[in-house]
Amino acid sequence: MVRVFRCMAIEKLVSRRVVGRLALVLIGGLATASVLSAQEPPVHYLHQGMMPPGAIGSRHLQRRAPLLGYFQPVEIRAPAGAQVSLAVDGRFAEPTSAPRQVGMLIGQVYRIRVTNIPRQSGMEVFPTIEVIDRTYAPVGQQRRFAIPVELSQEDMELAMAGKFVTRVIYLEDPHNALPVQGNLSGQNWFEAAPGQDPLAVADALGRPVAILRIGARLPSIGGEPSAEFLFGSPPVQMAAGNVHGPMTNDQ
Amino acid sequence: MNRTSQALTVRPGVLRLWGMALVGCGVTILCSCRGPASGPGEFGPIAGGQYPSLPESAYTGMPAPGQPCPMPMGPTAAPGMPHGIPLPYMAGGPWAPEGTSQPWPAEEYLCDGGDRGLPAEVRPDWEVLGLESEDTIAHFDTLDGETLIEPSNRVCIYSPRFNAVRRVETPVASERAEGWADVASPEVLMGPTNTQRVGTNTQNFQPVLHDRTRLVETFLGEQNGGEVSGAQGLRAFEDGFLPYENLQVIRQGVIDSAEMPFLALGAKAAITWSSDQAVQVILDEQSAMEDVSDVTAPSVYTVNAPPANPRLRVVKVASTPFAEPGDEVAFTIRFDNVGNQPIGNVVVIDNLTTRLEYLPDSAQCSIEASFFTQANEAGSLAVRCEVTEPLEPGEGGILRFRCRVR
Repeated sequence: MVRVFRCMAIEKLVSRRVVGRLALVLIGGLATASVLSAQEPPVHYLHQGMMPPGAIGSRHLQRRAPLLGYFQPVEIRAPAGAQVSLAVDGRFAEPTSAPRQVGMLIGQVYRIRVTNIPRQSGMEVFPTIEVIDRTYAPVGQQRRFAIPVELSQEDMELAMAGKFVTRVIYLEDPHNALPVQGNLSGQNWFEAAPGQDPLAVADALGRPVAILRIGARLPSIGGEPSAEFLFGSPPVQMAAGNVHGPMTNDQ
Repeated sequence: MNRTSQALTVRPGVLRLWGMALVGCGVTILCSCRGPASGPGEFGPIAGGQYPSLPESAYTGMPAPGQPCPMPMGPTAAPGMPHGIPLPYMAGGPWAPEGTSQPWPAEEYLCDGGDRGLPAEVRPDWEVLGLESEDTIAHFDTLDGETLIEPSNRVCIYSPRFNAVRRVETPVASERAEGWADVASPEVLMGPTNTQRVGTNTQNFQPVLHDRTRLVETFLGEQNGGEVSGAQGLRAFEDGFLPYENLQVIRQGVIDSAEMPFLALGAKAAITWSSDQAVQVILDEQSAMEDVSDVTAPSVYTVNAPPANPRLRVVKVASTPFAEPGDEVAFTIRFDNVGNQPIGNVVVIDNLTTRLEYLPDSAQCSIEASFFTQANEAGSLAVRCEVTEPLEPGEGGILRFRCRVR
């Protein structure tokens, strides 16, 4: 009788020990995960610049900031003479000369078409612009400090030669700034070292705000480009007048 | 039997309590990880009240026309300041996360002024130490022979600069990588192996002399703790540091900016330890005596000489709240002797940040002064203004210079 009672008690004890250890492991894991989540730095170390268009920006929308629904002013720059047209309602709109200011949603991917490229008559390129973060300019100064997206002649010629060009545009940290003059003869840029991820480099030097991708994709031959190629033609705001003028919804 | 059953019935209860305590600790940890950070600084009046007049074009940190003003305005505003108190400048965008310091986001603002990082220090040979980029300070000599330092306020201009990182790759299509499926490694016998059994074991060398026996003299490692503890005791100094030595500057001699608050706390603690804060009494084996006397002073003369309070106020403003790369920005620094005694050798230093390029020969001062510039580690210049004459109480001057935003 004593032996049976003792065995039952021991089984009860062992089962409770197992449950207790499981609870300890569970709480330890949750606590560690919570601490890691709370200390999550505002950088993109989990992302890579070679991720598909839209993947980085859509993940960024989940962060705690007023990003959803905000049209970030973007200034598209191109060589003199080149014309730019945006995808609106499933087709490319009438081309206009650059530079051109538009308002783009964060996390969406915008396909644009560049024609009349100098020294490349009859050639077209179809870059994409993905805005992954916004700026917080003072009231009335949003368009004056739009994010510049520069389509350089060299980048477009590389794309025509079959290359795939990725440019990560970032806000420079003033404490890590290079002592060079900015915005006089184009945007400052540099090449990522071999093996380096441009998004990680931009994260280390500032705050990435947009990604420009050129090359590696062609629209369907003949007919209108597919909706997948245009990434669904997300809404865009067109700027009117000078940098202090308003933006109007185009879709 | 009774003893065994009693032990078995008590221990589950203890386990249950221990489990509940464990769950409670876990819930506490989970709830405390995302707790709110310290609250943002609040606006408030500035001690001292009035400020000296500034140029009309000076930008004092007020919002642009049409923007809401966070300062007290209207009937509750400071006297003579219907638009609110102009200082300190608290720039900020339309939204900022709670607990973040202003201005936010820092990447979009170009700041200059104050004394960030290590506090500036002037050596006897007038060499200034601890002057980081963006710092604006003034140092002066007092009648007591001291050299004091006064930083200016911090001025921030909205001036984001965009850069780009490029990567060019060659997409590969219709390419198939072929690799080795397997590696055949035939092994061929090189020759027969004969195994011969030992018939006789001959030992050619035999021990002739027993030299000595070495015994264990010291233990280098020692097991501490209980039954399952594997902690090793320290054998030398470099094996460990004390808890308060857990700083990179102590461990590796490299100064980390994140350690500055701890270093400052340590410095204050050292001052506290070295001072005598209690009344010192020496008895010397003699009893205390009461001294009684009927002699009084016939008259008492009181001299109301205020204690020496040498002070210099340094206020810095910028000409514009917004600037694009290539724009020119004018800075005005006003310094006033607000103490009660003359001060001399007044020197104002502005260590410009990387993105501010000093325009040559643009510096001017309202009183007689000498200007010097020197290249700094930020790739810009440090502007130094040495006031020639001493400043009497109430006197001051204005220093102006222009910069181009890079």
